[in-house]
Amino acid sequence: MSLFSGKEDSELKTRIGGGGEGEVRQKQPGTMTRRSLVRSGLGALVAAPWAGGLGAAGVHSHPGPRDRAGATRQDDEIVLGVSAAFSGPSRGLGTELYRGSMAYFNHVNENGGVNGRRIVMKLLDDGYQPDPCVANTIELIQDESVFLLFNYVGTPTVTRALPVLKKFRDQQVYLFFPFTGAEPQREPPYGEFAFNLRASYRQETAGLVDNFLSIGRRRVAVFYQNDAYGRSGWAGVREALARHGETMAGEATYMRGTQFGASMRGQVEILQARSPDAVICIGAYQACAAFARDAEDLGLHIPVANVSFVGSENLLALMREGRADADAHTRFLVNSQVVPSYEDTSLPAVREYHELMARYDPPPPANVDRITPGEPYTTFPQSFVSLEGFVNAKLITEIIRRMGDNPQRSGIEEAVFAVRDYDLGVGERVRFGPNRRQGLQMIYYTVPEGERFVPLEDWEGRFPVS
Amino acid sequence: MTAMIQKGEEVHRVRKLFRKTRFGFFALFGIVVLAISILSISSVSRELRDEYVSNSESIAKNIADSSVDILLNRNLATLQSLIDQFVQIESIRYIYITSDTGEFLAHTFIPGIPEEILASDPSATEPVERSLPGLGDFVEVGSPILSGVAGTVHVGMDLERLGLKIQRAVGQQVYLLCIILVTGVLASIWLVNLASRPLTELLEYVVALARERGGARSTHGDVLGRDDEIGDMARLMRYVADDAGLARDEGTTAGGGD
Repeated sequence: MSLFSGKEDSELKTRIGGGGEGEVRQKQPGTMTRRSLVRSGLGALVAAPWAGGLGAAGVHSHPGPRDRAGATRQDDEIVLGVSAAFSGPSRGLGTELYRGSMAYFNHVNENGGVNGRRIVMKLLDDGYQPDPCVANTIELIQDESVFLLFNYVGTPTVTRALPVLKKFRDQQVYLFFPFTGAEPQREPPYGEFAFNLRASYRQETAGLVDNFLSIGRRRVAVFYQNDAYGRSGWAGVREALARHGETMAGEATYMRGTQFGASMRGQVEILQARSPDAVICIGAYQACAAFARDAEDLGLHIPVANVSFVGSENLLALMREGRADADAHTRFLVNSQVVPSYEDTSLPAVREYHELMARYDPPPPANVDRITPGEPYTTFPQSFVSLEGFVNAKLITEIIRRMGDNPQRSGIEEAVFAVRDYDLGVGERVRFGPNRRQGLQMIYYTVPEGERFVPLEDWEGRFPVS
Repeated sequence: MTAMIQKGEEVHRVRKLFRKTRFGFFALFGIVVLAISILSISSVSRELRDEYVSNSESIAKNIADSSVDILLNRNLATLQSLIDQFVQIESIRYIYITSDTGEFLAHTFIPGIPEEILASDPSATEPVERSLPGLGDFVEVGSPILSGVAGTVHVGMDLERLGLKIQRAVGQQVYLLCIILVTGVLASIWLVNLASRPLTELLEYVVALARERGGARSTHGDVLGRDDEIGDMARLMRYVADDAGLARDEGTTAGGGD
């Protein structure tokens, strides 16, 4: 299923190999009509239990014919299908996640690959939009016959792609380690098609609420992206507050894709009218940075928390850009993370991350700047997002290694469930099982210090209640 | 008698008569077009509005039916994803879902839920018109989820967009009717002219006949040659005039013999 014109197809349809000279192919959101978007979306949401009886595909090399017979191919590559944001206001997330993974895959491939096979990522750009993500997923499964899906970015995208996995359930294509903490890929009816490594938004928001309440900030408001992602975080805050007998002090929303230059005065004023003690933001870095900026400018001097998806370094870079009073401007920020601080080199995985990021310094996919012309992307030496990508790559490599010389999709689930007490080097052991499809549980809290986020040790000292 | 039948005056009267006829045609067509336009505006706007409300009710019911499992599973992200897709439909401007206790579980408002909505009855399902400051005017319909025990879906339709659609539909009809009006009037003018020209000629002939019998015969011979009612009347008048002249001549001759 190609939604490209021939020209776009020839220009953008590329693949990325283990050498890191990858390119990404963009799925144009406008290539589907409104009617077809709605139809495809609704169809996806009601799921598709009539999936055809196609056999599980084995590892294959791209480009090549589809292999739906389940036979193992003797090729030298394992292809991971990726649909993520490499363009648009959230492209920093897809790009940094990719860079972190590439640092590790480069290392693996340079050392002979996994059981003699190189790990290759097939990248498609969805611009953090649900419909292109659905189309990409179908293409990755049907046309590219990837071994598994990996490193998807975002809740609205993943939420809509999950029914596609159910549709093709007989092909046993699993989604690994999406960059989202939402519930749909953790719960029925789609939880069985995904494996998560990171903690959930429910855990992140519960941690933030617990900490705010513990220091006497009981009136917690929410600023969120008005889509599945925002709603997921909103629901997490609501549940966490309910456990303490509290309700949300207020809420304000913004539209997905909002840029840093947009005014958030309306949202700030809505929340100001509710006199909150703290605001939890469930959004992407451009909009959340705009909100934090306007909140500070309009005198809403209360802690502004963000969850891990925000992309802390991207957010901080935007807020500090061109400001003489950058530190004062970011003093109320507090971000939850699902990986430890990349400053914590006492952890083996973090040390390895530093070493491999420095050695390979993976560039963004080759045509990212062409996708978003005039806006060259500046990479970060280290970031929470790229560390997460690195850790994701490390674990998927281990899972594929455990599948032996002839990995089959049908053996994926068993290989994952065999990961019961695995030390990934992040200070927390990874465990999976039939009723446990999320590997890590820890939440970390960080605050800006100069141009970096550092661990927050003392909530009360940082955010005293006057 | 001679003063009364001045040629110019009579022709002018005939033209005035036909001008009235033409005006009559125009007025009649205008009244027809106006009446049809009013009827059309009324019926089109009513039917479009009914259709929009009906579609919105169907959408609200569709969402309500699809939401049951999602709500019971407390999967609000999927619920939001569901309404986000429906709100892409043209003319649907907002959707919100309230729980059985009136809590707002998912909505599409940016930057926040309007106060008017917050203050409204969360379980209401009857169509209601709303004017939301900064957003516009809407018709809102509702549909209960699981007979209302799981909540209510509310769908807001943009009245401004509906108004534009009605205007467009009515405008097209009025445009067509105006074309018919102009064409009809032009056609009627042409037909009236067609009918008035021989009548004018006949009148001119009669006038000439009355004023100067011999000259009339030679000057208006074409009227006498017409193969229609005008020709018949001209010949009849010629005959009557000749007959009257003959009688007069005979009378004069007989009188001279006394």
